[in-house]
Amino acid sequence: MTAVRPGTNPMPVEAVAERLAADFADDLSDVRVQEPDTVVARLAPERLKDAARRLKAHPEVGYETLNFIAGVDRVTCFECVYHLYSWKTNTWLELHVRLPRQAPRVETVTDVWPAADWHEREAWDMVGIEFTGHPDLRRILLKDDFIGHPLRKDYVDLPENHPHV
Amino acid sequence: MSDFLPDRLRGLRYPKLEHFEQPNVITTTADLVFSWARSHSVFPFTYGLACCAIEMLSSGFARFDVARYGMEVFRPTPRQCDLMIVAGTVNEKMAPVLKRLYDQMAEPKWVVSMGACATSGGPFYDGYNVVNGVDKIVPVDVYIPGCPPRPEALFQGLLELQRIIEQYSFVPRRPGAGRDAAAAAGRREEG
Amino acid sequence: MYDHFATPEPDEAMKLALRRIEEARARGEGSNLDGIEFNEVVVNMGPQHPSTHGVLRLVVTLDGELVKDVIPVIGYLHRCKEKLAEKRTYYQYIPIVDRTEYLASINCEWAYVMAVEKLAGIEVPRRAEFIRVILGELMRIASHQVAVGTFTADLSPLGTAMAFYTFRDREKILDLMEEVTGARMMFNYFRFGGVRYDLPPGWVEKCRDLMKQMPKLIDEYESLVDDNAIFLQRTVGKGVITPQDVVDYGITGPNARASGVPLDLRRTRPYSVYPELDFEICVGEHGDVFDRYKVRMNEMRQSVRIIEQCLDMLPRGPVQNSSLRAPYVIAPPPGACYVGQENPRGEYGIYLESDGSRYPYRLKYRDPCFCNLQIFPKLLRGNKIADAVAISGSIDLVLGGIDR
Repeated sequence: MTAVRPGTNPMPVEAVAERLAADFADDLSDVRVQEPDTVVARLAPERLKDAARRLKAHPEVGYETLNFIAGVDRVTCFECVYHLYSWKTNTWLELHVRLPRQAPRVETVTDVWPAADWHEREAWDMVGIEFTGHPDLRRILLKDDFIGHPLRKDYVDLPENHPHV
Repeated sequence: MSDFLPDRLRGLRYPKLEHFEQPNVITTTADLVFSWARSHSVFPFTYGLACCAIEMLSSGFARFDVARYGMEVFRPTPRQCDLMIVAGTVNEKMAPVLKRLYDQMAEPKWVVSMGACATSGGPFYDGYNVVNGVDKIVPVDVYIPGCPPRPEALFQGLLELQRIIEQYSFVPRRPGAGRDAAAAAGRREEG
Repeated sequence: MYDHFATPEPDEAMKLALRRIEEARARGEGSNLDGIEFNEVVVNMGPQHPSTHGVLRLVVTLDGELVKDVIPVIGYLHRCKEKLAEKRTYYQYIPIVDRTEYLASINCEWAYVMAVEKLAGIEVPRRAEFIRVILGELMRIASHQVAVGTFTADLSPLGTAMAFYTFRDREKILDLMEEVTGARMMFNYFRFGGVRYDLPPGWVEKCRDLMKQMPKLIDEYESLVDDNAIFLQRTVGKGVITPQDVVDYGITGPNARASGVPLDLRRTRPYSVYPELDFEICVGEHGDVFDRYKVRMNEMRQSVRIIEQCLDMLPRGPVQNSSLRAPYVIAPPPGACYVGQENPRGEYGIYLESDGSRYPYRLKYRDPCFCNLQIFPKLLRGNKIADAVAISGSIDLVLGGIDR
């Protein structure tokens, strides 16, 4: 058995939420608990990088693993959902980062969590959220000359994307 | 002996090339042998893309044994294959690859479109990235419906393909021979 | 329309590979071989390749036989599933979720159905929960059989012998599944609030018989390769995933457990009736290819144990929540939730957002193979190309999930 195991410092999820609300009062807003083991919070995009580093390095509730990054198109804005896992407390954290509709840009977190690499590429590919500072931001699932970002609500199927009809 | 030969073959000592331009007893006999050989030893191309590939794999293993039809030699390179079984969804990114691999196969070649996705796009027909049917890229000989088709359904399609291969003629291609003759023969059989 | 005699232009991935070679040469790292200054060759493995288990393309930069760099290119099976979720009702989408990880599609349906049940607050009757566990574990065994079979088939063409044995027994499991659900692979059997049909009469006895035979069959698979010196040479010590990698890259499933990390969602985030069941988490030591293979074998044995317990504990009762009736239109209240489930390949999760209408607002897959594939460049660097094939087979990829 290695030192990496889930639940070395188990805390009930309400206590985790209180701890986060206390330590990250400037960054996280609207911290609430979603049964049974997830803390949901909102984060402003400017504070993302700094908060990410501190969340990972937190001594008691360290969020060391990034589960996934989802890009969502809410018609008035974009949103980036980061889902993190804390090995020590065996709880999850869901961070919602709202981005403006005209300029969906946010800093990359690949230097904090290496797993973010492909998730950010997929969010760029599907929704069009740009991650500044990403080492290799190019399309991952669609072909390189695909026009548009399909998971946007206003995506229209272009004939240029269908040469083989 | 020369009583049984048609006029233009009388006085024949050895067959000449022009005798193979029209179907006659020599070409039909050669056709019998070659089509028996071709249809019973087809080399399929492992073009499993998605879920149907697993059913294709299952049909290759012990329970549904595709070797009884002579088709167990699945080659991964198109240069050595006769038959491309397109098993799975083809999308816009994969389509040029499919066309390139089809072009790399040597004649005579056949294509079987296995599953609903390869036939018409399947459950993903309204996806922005999905090609609605592999016959938009390559000509298809047999369509096998199902999602995924059971190995028995795949075998029915392959047996159908064997009948098509048997129609393939030894006589050099010209309008009306080869694939068109096979299609016409198939239609005549059904109609 | 298409000039098939022309050499294709390098696409983005190839251009990236060539750029990296230029940068490496500029740094002075040419070749490892004496007397040769620059020796890199960029080779395309895939998307159609017998060993990549689907349409995965690996742009491999080779220096002789050593792999210098690997750029995986995916998307050749991208079937627009996340967009289709917005066009299909919740019930119509169940067959589409099936086709993600098609080797263990019951587990994929389970995650989706659990997500909708969590959003809508639907209860599941106990008998249905036990049936779900039994079928989920049966498909776990079947999926591992395919994984192990194709993995040994990759190592050598003669290794297909193991695949013949595992596929033979997989057919027995698929027969059982077909009796219950009606399908061999994509079952479309789970419903919100239960399962579609009850178990047919006599099925429990057939399942028990098969579970009695299973441990001997698993021993048979191991006896084929475990003592083979070449197999051991090709798998022991190769492709080591360290526990730090597991944390950094979000690796889950047997790949993580083989590195000694006891991460199993059935224990860390229990769902369904797993808290009442008694089973072990199979953990390896070194995290190499051999350990991943061994963990899968042991997991098959644990699955047999779970199924036997469930068959003994199976209660009577309905298999569907009686409050849900035809027409099957469901509109969960607005909200978002994430449900992760222990797929044979790792943590398969569905993040579902609903806006109160009949169609999902946003459905995002957290696919285990997508996350496991990120470690490929790191794992394959420095190995020979033949080892690269063995390592990629041991990670157990299913492209349907990676590309969705």
